[in-house]
This record gives sequence, structure tokens and C-alpha cells, in this order.
Amino acid sequence: MDMEIDDPMHGSDEDQLSPTLDEDMNSDDGKNNTKARSNDEDTDEELEDFNFKPGSSGIADHKSSKPLKLTNTNINQLDQWIEHLSKCEPLSEDDVARLCKMAVDVLQFEENVKPINVPVTICGDVHGQFHDLLELFKIGGPCPDTNYLFMGDYVDRGYYSVETVSYLVAMKVRYPHRITILRGNHESRQITQVYGFYDECLRKYGSANVWKMFTDLFDYFPVTALVDNKIFCLHGGLSPMIETIDQVRDLNRIQEVPHEGPMCDLLWSDPDDRGGWGISPRGAGFTFGQDISEQFNHTNDLSLIARAHQLVMEGYSWSHQQNVVTIFSAPNYCYRCGNQAAIMEVDENHNRQFLQYDPSVRPGEPTVTRKTPDYFL
Amino acid sequence: MSGARSTTAGAVPSAATTSTTSTTSNSKDSDSNESLYPLALLMDELKHDDIANRVEAMKKLDTIALALGPERTRNELIPFLTEVAQDDEDEVFAVLAEQLGKFVPYIGGPQYATILLPVLEILASAEETLVREKAVDSLNNVAQELSQEQLFSDFVPLIEHLATADWFSSKVSACGLFKSVIVRIKDDSLRKNILALYLQLAQDDTPMVKRAVGKNLPILIDLLTQNLGLSTDEDWDYISNIFQKIINDNQDSVKFLAVDCLISILKFFNAKGDESHTQDLLNSAVKLIGDEAWRVRYMAADRFSDLASQFSSNQAYIDELVQPFLNLCEDNEGDVREAVAKQVSGFAKFLNDPSIILNKILPAVQNLSMDESETVRSALASKITNIVLLLNKDQVINNFLPILLNMLRDEFPDVRLNIIASLKVVNDVIGIELLSDSLLPAITELAKDVNWRVRMAIIEYIPILAEQLGMQFFDQQLSDLCLSWLWDTVYSIREAAVNNLKRLTEIFGSDWCRDEIISRLLKFDLQLLENFVSRFTILSALTTLVPVVSLDVVTEQLLPFISHLADDGVPNIRFNVAKSYAVIVKVLIKDEAKYDALIKNTILPSLQTLCQDEDVDVKYFAKKSLAECQELLKN
Repeated sequence: MDMEIDDPMHGSDEDQLSPTLDEDMNSDDGKNNTKARSNDEDTDEELEDFNFKPGSSGIADHKSSKPLKLTNTNINQLDQWIEHLSKCEPLSEDDVARLCKMAVDVLQFEENVKPINVPVTICGDVHGQFHDLLELFKIGGPCPDTNYLFMGDYVDRGYYSVETVSYLVAMKVRYPHRITILRGNHESRQITQVYGFYDECLRKYGSANVWKMFTDLFDYFPVTALVDNKIFCLHGGLSPMIETIDQVRDLNRIQEVPHEGPMCDLLWSDPDDRGGWGISPRGAGFTFGQDISEQFNHTNDLSLIARAHQLVMEGYSWSHQQNVVTIFSAPNYCYRCGNQAAIMEVDENHNRQFLQYDPSVRPGEPTVTRKTPDYFL
Repeated sequence: MSGARSTTAGAVPSAATTSTTSTTSNSKDSDSNESLYPLALLMDELKHDDIANRVEAMKKLDTIALALGPERTRNELIPFLTEVAQDDEDEVFAVLAEQLGKFVPYIGGPQYATILLPVLEILASAEETLVREKAVDSLNNVAQELSQEQLFSDFVPLIEHLATADWFSSKVSACGLFKSVIVRIKDDSLRKNILALYLQLAQDDTPMVKRAVGKNLPILIDLLTQNLGLSTDEDWDYISNIFQKIINDNQDSVKFLAVDCLISILKFFNAKGDESHTQDLLNSAVKLIGDEAWRVRYMAADRFSDLASQFSSNQAYIDELVQPFLNLCEDNEGDVREAVAKQVSGFAKFLNDPSIILNKILPAVQNLSMDESETVRSALASKITNIVLLLNKDQVINNFLPILLNMLRDEFPDVRLNIIASLKVVNDVIGIELLSDSLLPAITELAKDVNWRVRMAIIEYIPILAEQLGMQFFDQQLSDLCLSWLWDTVYSIREAAVNNLKRLTEIFGSDWCRDEIISRLLKFDLQLLENFVSRFTILSALTTLVPVVSLDVVTEQLLPFISHLADDGVPNIRFNVAKSYAVIVKVLIKDEAKYDALIKNTILPSLQTLCQDEDVDVKYFAKKSLAECQELLKN
């Protein structure tokens, strides 16, 4: 299944969306962490609120010193939530608070570089396209029967960020060994205020509380994963300040995504067909060339870097002579890009198989034949 | 929500919307003058700035009425609502209009029901269609509760007001109310007046009113058909007049409603056994079928079988419809052809002469089967196979089968799927051998379609086909295909393939499953088993088959293989083995005496080992299964 031809990333760069769809750090004032946008008066008022600081949701006020141990009560509760969410119905605010508190006690104990066993199915951006996430499970198999690794960007853009992130976090708490959820550049307070998650929370819950809880929780998400010591998985790409995987292990990740530095780069960088390090047009992270990828894989004895972060029309795209693969799991991104989505199955023998898929059939849309036009109106 | 609401509540302090603490103190006050509270609360809420609050308040109207009691509802609430009905937003009106339809019990029963009419009349004159429709529905509900006297003294005058109002909106509403009175008026002259009023509406200038007339006319005629002895010739002069107005209207959006009117008129005269008008009505039908406006032709095509069945008592009339029907099959508009394609078999069954079917209908079917529009072909495919019931075996083989085989090769998957879904009737007439040559390539191709939902659709038809085609044919031609789906890259296809095996076993039996499926599943080469997905699929296939095969097959073939996977390297396999054990014990317990030792010496120890597994999920599912097994053993 592996494609032999090396598809240089610039090809997919051209496929990238117009600047309005392409987030970049420069669109903010860049200095003030919590005030990203000021065109909406209500939002502005909220932003002045002193409660708006990281940690204000209180979900991490009573962190446990030991990983969460699931009791039967917990399990029943989680199974109920998962069933509820799988119908695309959001949880109540109180339940989100309970879920996030439990999730903190799972995620805070995960390493910056989360070790993962094969077999596993690796997935890219989802971006609130909840029905397409369900389609993903139809293609790859349900969790926990199939092990999953998601490489970030669960929220923003799509209409169901709340349901998507609630569902994935609930699965994570219920089956911590079967699913891993990494942090993407959209799992941040600043970005979610611009690209939809904040507004969706306000719309669905009438206040920013749920947004505060989830963004506080995002600080605990691991930033990278290492599949069987061979495939290094992360949302964005490499950083000039990181040569070895051990250096990632030394980072203090429990914080808002910074504007620069190694943690920022891991979530923001992109591979490029120009060699060496380059300035990223996104205003955060860097671009890195094939020489960088090869050196990193050689130094760390890796076979592949798997990352997400960029729209690719086929759902996956090789670059740097198969040193890097981009995986994107939001079909017809933003409900208009016309791209396929893909996931990558890695089996026990490290064979890789890409599964591509199209948008799900949404409720209310015709499934097989076109509806007869209604002339009676 | 609560946050947003409390901020607005600050601006409009009121008993209903202030925060919880003040509501508690208010409820204390309200104990003293409880009777005033509901209406005050409603009024407060109905004056709220936020329209959502007003709509919510309106939805609770029945609760308020119940709390007030019938007398105060009549004296205080209804007058208040009459005011509201003249000064609010459409959303609130819509809820109010709907609520009032079930209000008769709250105002003290039918004898007071007429006091609801003025409010509803105001709402029935509203500009917004939704409000009017709800008001008309509610008026019709209320009318059912009215006595004859109330109907004459209040309801008929209400229709007259609306029908003679200045604005089209009131007149449209009026059209929807005739059905409540038409058959309850036993006095011929009064009914004549009512129909005269309806005719007056049919002559209105605006198409909106004329459309409402055309839409409601079939309902009125059907009511007269149910009360066959009621209507007089004079009534029918009016109805005929109204029908002529509709069928001769120069707007196609009015004219196309004549098709349903015509069908209802025909039904009335057929019920009466009166054939004196049939030729005239047939002329009207032919005129509509050949109308220059395509919407009218579409409507005629869509109702063709129903229309034709009204003429079926006389073959000469049916013959006159053949050419118009063929014209529709060659219509310029795809939508018309699509509608008529579904009517072919339905119409053909009224043709007594097989040569017309062979020489005229089938060539038209042939053309439709090659139509440029895939939706036309798909529509044809969904219904056409029933035509074989009208032909003998040779005719089917020589004249229809070639068309069918071509459709099975259609490039559009829906066409093939629709044909396959309805093959049983063809198989019954001609037998499977003739079908299979062409059927198999079509199925095989669908089975490999790049779109997994097409593959899914064909898998779901396999059990139907298996039943139709029989075991021998199935083993020779389809069993390989069914097994191959187990190795599909898409999980949902593998899952469907597994369930398919279960359904096939239910059809062909346990022995067949052992010989044809299980033996082959267990013989797969080891290389395949190195892949986690393959092991998982075989495990779930075997587990799914447990409830449908004999207990011997379970213990001799399924259990050894499943147990063997209990120490698999992948935890996901191990916890599914744990789940399988519970399924196996559940069937073995049926013959506990025989299998008690097997359960206690083989299955339970293996489950206990899994309960000590290093993986938490394996532990969890093993413990759950063990508990289930022990529960089963106890009973």
C-alpha cells in the first residue's frame, strides 16, 4: 500500500486553503496571551474577566498524586457518557466538569513522549467534524477493539467541536491504554478563541465555563508519542532546539502552548522541500527540510515521523523520501475542501496500511438516490 | 443557559425570572394569593423582552389554564390571549395557535368551545403561513367538538368572514375549514350555499387562494364519497364548476392540482356505479397527461397507476391511456420520466392484452433502461421486475430478460442494487440458471466497488439472494465471495461479512456452516494469522457463529481455536477472547449436564488466568465475563 513516489510537501502546500482558512499566529497581537480578539464586545468583556486565567476552571484544583483508578461506578458513568455522546448530544456542564477532573488524573501521568505498542491506528486532524469521526471508527474499527493514536486538532472549524473533544476525552479516560490523544496547535486558549471552539461553547452552554475546563485540560495532553520506538508521532513537526527525543522528555509541557520555543515548534512546524530550517509562513514553528528529518531519524534510530497539521488532498502524503508522513483525518475539511481523509494502520510487524475515506453520510441527507423535488410547496 | 438568563432577568425584574433565592421567597407570597399567581406569571413572561421566553411561556399555556380552572380561563385568560394574538411575534402566535386546538377541555367543555373561535380567527388571518396553518388545524379540531347548532351559528359564519375578507391570507385559511362542515350539513340548501362559497373562492384572483381551493377539493370530495347518499346533482354542478376552474387555470401551479381532484371525482362516481361522466373525465385525464406545463405532466405521471385504476372497469378506456402513457415515457423532462418509470408495472397490470405489453410497453421500458439520467434508470429498476408477473416464461426470457441483464450491468450502482433487491419475482418465473450468467458478474463487480457503502449494500442483499437461489448455487458461486469480504480493508465491511455468515447459517443450517465456512476459516494459512486484524476478524466471526451452530460444532471446532487465542500477544485479542467465553458458556449451559466439566475445567480456568492479565482492559472484560458465567452456572 505504501506509495513509492515521494510527494514533496510543496505540492500539498498549494492544496492548502486560502489564507483565511489557514490559521497563523500573526493574526493576533502576539504579545497578550489571553486577548486574542477584540472585535466582539461581549467576548472582550469576558476577556477582561480575571477568571479567564489558565486554571480558573478549577478542574485541576484537586489533582490526585496517583493515576486514576477506575471503579465500577466510574466505568458505568463513562459508558453512559460515551453512549450519549455517540449520538452527537453534548454532555451537561456538570458532567463535563466531572469528566475533565478525571481526565486530568489520567493525562498528568502520561509522559511527554508517550510510548505506544503496535498494533495501532494513527489519525490526524478531526476539527470538530463529529460525524466524520464516527465514520473514521467505521473504517478503522471501534475503540477499544482497535487501538488509536490521535495527533491533535480535535476542535475548531467543524460544527461539533464540543461533542468531538468530549467523546475523545471520555474514551481516553475509559480506555487509557487503548487510545492516546496528543495535543495539536488548536488545543490552546488562544487559537480556539479565533477558530470556533470558544464560540461553540458559548452557544451550546451559554457561558465560557466548558471552554475554560477543556482548555485547562489541554495543558495536560501529551505532546508526542513513540510507536514501538520506531515511529515518532506529533502534531506539527521538528524544532531546531530539539535533536533527541530525550530533549522532548525534559520539556515542561503543562502550560498554554507558548509562542516560541521547542514545545511551540512541535505543534506548529511543517516539513518543506527546501533543506535546512526555514521561517514558517504560519508565524509560529519552523519549516524543516529532508536533511533535518533524515538526521533526526538517524540520531534517534527512527523509521518514520508521522504528523498531521496540514490539509492533504488524498488524506495522507509522504515527504522527505518517506522519512515523514502527513495524515489528515477530516474529510471535506470545513465542509468544502473536497479532500479525502486517511488513517494509518500499523500492525504488529510494522506493516503500514493507509485507509482513505470520504465524508460520512449525514442525517437528513439522501443516502442513495436523489429526492424527488417537492413541487407541492 | 442559566447564566444568560439571569443577566437579562436583571433588566426585567419579575416573579418568574429572578434568581432562585428570590423565587423561594416569592413562592411563599404566592401561597397566600395562589390563585393570582399563574396568570401573573404568564403575563410577566409574555411581556419578557426575549422572544424565547415568550415562546416558552406560551408552550405552558395548558398548565396555566389547568391551574386557573375553566371559569377563569374563559373570563380572564381567553380575553387576555385575544389581546396577545394581535400584538406579538409570529413565533409566539404559532405556539398560541397550536395550543388553542386542544383547549376545549380547559374552558369547560364543548358547550363553551365557541369562545375559542374569535382568537383563532385572528390567527387564521395572520400573514405568516405557519401561524395560519396551525390556526386552521386548531379550528378544525375545535369544530369536531361543536354541536350542529354551534356549527351553524358560529363556525359557518366564521368561514364566511374569512372567505370574504380582503386579504388572500384569510381566504386561504377559509379553504382549509370546509372539510369540517361539508358532510355535517344535512340540509341540501345550506350545503349548496357552502359549495357556492367554495366556488367563489375558486374564482379568486390570486393563485394562492386557487391553490388552496385545489388542494382541499380532493379532501372534500373524498368526504362526500364516504357519505355516498348525501350529495345532490346540484352539489355536483358546483364541484364540476370548481374542477373546471382548476383544470383550466392558466397557472401550472394551480392546474397540476387538478390531477388529484380528478382521481377523487372518479372515485366518487365509481363508488356510485355511475359511468355517465367517465368519457368526459377520461378526456380530462388525457388533457392533463399531455399538458404543455411539465409540472402538470409530472403530477399525472406520478399518479398514473392510481389514475388508470379508476378506468379499469372498461378496457376501451385503458387502451386510450396507452399512448399518453408512452408519451410520458419519452417526455423531455427527466423528472417526468423518473416519475413514470416507477408506474410501469402498476399501469401494465390493467392491460389485458399481452401483445400491447410486448409491443408497446416493453420497448418503452427498454428506452427508459438506457435513459441518460441515472435517477430515471434507478427509479425504473426499483419497480420494474414486477412486470414479469404479467408475462409467460418465454415472453420473459425473450423480451424482458435482455433488458434486465443490461440493467444489471448499469454503470450506476443504485440501478444494479435496485434490480438485485427485487430479483425474487424474476427467479420465480424463469429459474436461477438463466439469471446466474449475468447476475454473478454484476454481483462480483458491486462486491469490488471502490465505494465501501456500495459493497455494504450488496453484502446486505446476499442473504436474500441465498434464500432465493438455494444452497447448491450459493456454494458454487457465492461462498468464496462471502469469505473474501472478511479481509476487506474497511472494518464495517468485515463486520457486515461476519454478520452475513451468521444470517447464511440461519438459512442453510449448522452442518453447512461447519463444512463450508468454519472448516475454511480454520484452515487459513499462518501468515494471515500474523496480522492482528485477520486474527481479530476470525475471532469475531467464530464468536458470532456460536449461537447459530450446533453445540458439537461449538465445542469441537470453535472453542479450541478461541482458547488458543487466549494468550495472544495483543491485548485487544485477549479481551475479546474473554468476551467470547461468555457467549460460549451462554449456549453450552443449555445442556449443562453434558458440558459442565468442559466449562469448569477449560473455560473458567482460562478466564481466571485472563483475570490476572497485566493489561487492565483484559482484566476488566475477563472479570465481567467470569461474573456472567458464574451467574449462568448458578441458575
